[in-house]
Amino acid sequence: MAALLELEAATKRFGGLTANKDVSIRIDTGEIVGLIGPNGAGKTTLFNCITGYMHPDAGRIVFDGVDVSRTGPHTICHLGVARTWQVVRTFGRMTVLENVVCGALARTNRMAEAEARARRLLTFTGLGGKEAMRAANLTLADKKRLEIARALATQPRLLLLDEAMSGLTPFETAMAVDLVRRIHAELGLTLCIVEHVMEVVMPLSHRVVVLDYGVKIAEGAPADVVRNELVIKAYLGEHYRDRR
Amino acid sequence: MELFVQAAVNGLQMGFLYALLAVGLTIIWGLMEMINFAHGEFLMLGMFGAWWLSTTFRIDPLLAIVPLGLVMYGLGVLIYEQLMRRVQLGDPFTQIFATVGLLFLIQNSAVAVFTSDYRFVNDTLLTRLSGAKLQILGITVGVPLLIGALVALVLFLLLYLLIDRTEFGLALQATSEDREAAMLVGIRPQRMFAVAWGLGAALVAVAGAILANFFAVYPQVGLQFTVLAYAIVALGGFGSILGTLLAALLVGVVQSVTVVYLPPAFKDAFVFASYLLIGLFRPQGLFGRF
Amino acid sequence: MAASSVRTGRLLALAAAAAVAIAYPIPLQLGGYTYFQTVGFLVLLNAMLGVGWNVIGGWAGQFDFGPQVFLAIGAYTAVVLFIHLGLSPWLGMLAGIALAAVVCALVTYPLTRLRGHYFAIATVAIWMIAQPIGATWEFINGSRGLFVPMKPAAGALDALVTLQFAGARKGLAYYYVGLALLALTLYGAWVVERSKLGFYFRAIRDDQEGAEGIGIDSRLYKVIARSVTAAVYGAAGVLYAFWALAVFPEQVLDLNWSVLPMMATVVGGIGRLWGPVLGAVILIPISQIMSTTLGTGPLAGRGVDLIVYGLIIIVIAAVRPTGLLSLPWGRWLRLSPAPSAPASDIGSRSGDVAARSGDVGPRSGDVASRP
Repeated sequence: MAALLELEAATKRFGGLTANKDVSIRIDTGEIVGLIGPNGAGKTTLFNCITGYMHPDAGRIVFDGVDVSRTGPHTICHLGVARTWQVVRTFGRMTVLENVVCGALARTNRMAEAEARARRLLTFTGLGGKEAMRAANLTLADKKRLEIARALATQPRLLLLDEAMSGLTPFETAMAVDLVRRIHAELGLTLCIVEHVMEVVMPLSHRVVVLDYGVKIAEGAPADVVRNELVIKAYLGEHYRDRR
Repeated sequence: MELFVQAAVNGLQMGFLYALLAVGLTIIWGLMEMINFAHGEFLMLGMFGAWWLSTTFRIDPLLAIVPLGLVMYGLGVLIYEQLMRRVQLGDPFTQIFATVGLLFLIQNSAVAVFTSDYRFVNDTLLTRLSGAKLQILGITVGVPLLIGALVALVLFLLLYLLIDRTEFGLALQATSEDREAAMLVGIRPQRMFAVAWGLGAALVAVAGAILANFFAVYPQVGLQFTVLAYAIVALGGFGSILGTLLAALLVGVVQSVTVVYLPPAFKDAFVFASYLLIGLFRPQGLFGRF
Repeated sequence: MAASSVRTGRLLALAAAAAVAIAYPIPLQLGGYTYFQTVGFLVLLNAMLGVGWNVIGGWAGQFDFGPQVFLAIGAYTAVVLFIHLGLSPWLGMLAGIALAAVVCALVTYPLTRLRGHYFAIATVAIWMIAQPIGATWEFINGSRGLFVPMKPAAGALDALVTLQFAGARKGLAYYYVGLALLALTLYGAWVVERSKLGFYFRAIRDDQEGAEGIGIDSRLYKVIARSVTAAVYGAAGVLYAFWALAVFPEQVLDLNWSVLPMMATVVGGIGRLWGPVLGAVILIPISQIMSTTLGTGPLAGRGVDLIVYGLIIIVIAAVRPTGLLSLPWGRWLRLSPAPSAPASDIGSRSGDVAARSGDVGPRSGDVASRP
């Protein structure tokens, strides 16, 4: 079966720094794939390339059979990829409802339909009742929910979450994990999650990919990846690898 | 061809003056991302100051640079502290709006005091040298403009050294890169902004003092230079001092050369057409941080 | 309930404003103070331009200092068609709007590669290039300008069709035409504001990159926004040309055609539908009063009126940076209760600084609007 998203030896350079080098990843429909690695490993750069904000200098990115290596972000969204951001971004001066309506308008030109979908998604993500609030006034956890609701409104098939759990309290994190599970189970989306919080990404993911210094160093089931000596070395240094 | 080279050389000299004119804007913009419609009004004040000192006290504009610079520095700081500091909280458009008000205020204060009549400085060093020429490599170079350009260049270099080599300049740069981080190391952004406005006003007024030797002095002279200054700063890349210099030289040359082949009305149009052309290939200007 | 009393209050305010606007010139006509009708006309014209500018500036959040080019295109199109083909200026207005919008789209699309202040200078660049073209293009008579030939009108209807009013009722007639056009423009803006376009424009303003990520082609929508502004400016240009009965490049390309409406919009409340109207109603009479009282008599020619005008602008900017519409009118007029946390003021979109935000962060105003 063809993969939903396939990266073939994707490489991205910034001057002298190679942020992504020959990264090949395959994500199949219905999977939850975790993307982990120490800071600076190139995870967000990879997301930026997948979603069209940057273009790989070498290699290909194929989504659902379409080569999107040189495609811009809004087209990629229409093809079915949505993302959230490492530093949360909302349309601060618009209300919560208006934010999600903007997302819904990607699939319909009718305001009534867009608004109805927006309201459903706000309830789904737990923001019901806050429709009239200005997005800038929300708490961090709610802003992240809003970002997700807005992304979902574009009816993606693949959702990329970039450190969605960062900055959340343990309670908020549990709610967020629950939301991700529901997105996968009830909405049938494929997900790729960049995360640093191991207690979150390991139980959630079917498969984990590990990046370090722009290179993929490991891939597989969470339990296997955790014991991989290269992964341990990348996160904790030589010392711990030997102690394994 | 010779005409072309001659025009280019003249343009280069004007370019140095333009560089001095524009660099104050670079600093203000690089620090605060503010559009200042009243920039040319400071120029006009510098011109009037030079004219007044020249006609009343027989002080040469080139000497008047020092007192004028100091007074205008104070004015810039005052304007920042009384007005711009408050509007920084609002929409960028409110900031623009405030500077438009400033434009009306300053320009018409000049009208009230001096009337709209055109004034000219005479009997200054540069006007007395008018017509003196040098022959360099077969090109005729007018002495007054050359001296004016050299003075402008020296001042520009002094500014560059201030920004690049002094601790204070470093603080300015730090504030423009990351305001909050600068605060964390003990730099007070408000003070930096006030100084930026002071420097900006002083530099453009000093440019005006030099320009007074070559242009008529009247209250409405400012706006055309404001527009030109913005084009230069944008062309060079907002926030880049080196970029401002190169862009200013380019603008001077384009203006000068255009006038040789086309009616003078197209002079500025070509500068802006060049801006568009360059902007399409390099949206961040020649040296801008994007 | 609070919500419906706000709506009733709004409708009442709208009705009151409409009544005042319609009734305004009548006592002046009866009393012979036609100068004030002219002031009214200028208020309407600038309000209309402000509503137009608000689309690219307030909603889409782009700095645009060059829409006067499209005012010129509209004016010249209609006048040329009238002179050479005898075409009614209303049809000329349609042609002018179309041409302005098309030229705008063509010219603006490449410019959308530029962001923020670079884009602003680019709009100025188009304007600077248009000036010598206007002054030297023989087809439109260059800087000598074009005069609208006055044809004696055969009755009121004919005068309306050719948009040439003469005689004692002239001021009155132009005023009402201006009022009708402003009403039409406001209605159009209202429709756009609630439509997909309006949402997309504001999304681009708040976070262009984020907007791209949810499928918004920001370049396309910036072009559309500017073209809407151009269309309004084109229409206003036609009105102006037939009021002034002459078109000169220097006059229709004057920077004030963008600065004044922009100032009015900022004073009234940028991004708010009625902002430009409120701002024009305040600023223009002030400037006219200043110019007739302080600008004449013993202080004439010394610019004192403009000094005071400048001071007023400065004070407004310093004291209420978010515009006058953001003042809590609803509360003052007892139309809505005081806001309770955490819901924001109903209907208030432009920034009261987010003091109620849960996280410590930069003020909503600057980060969100930074390009």
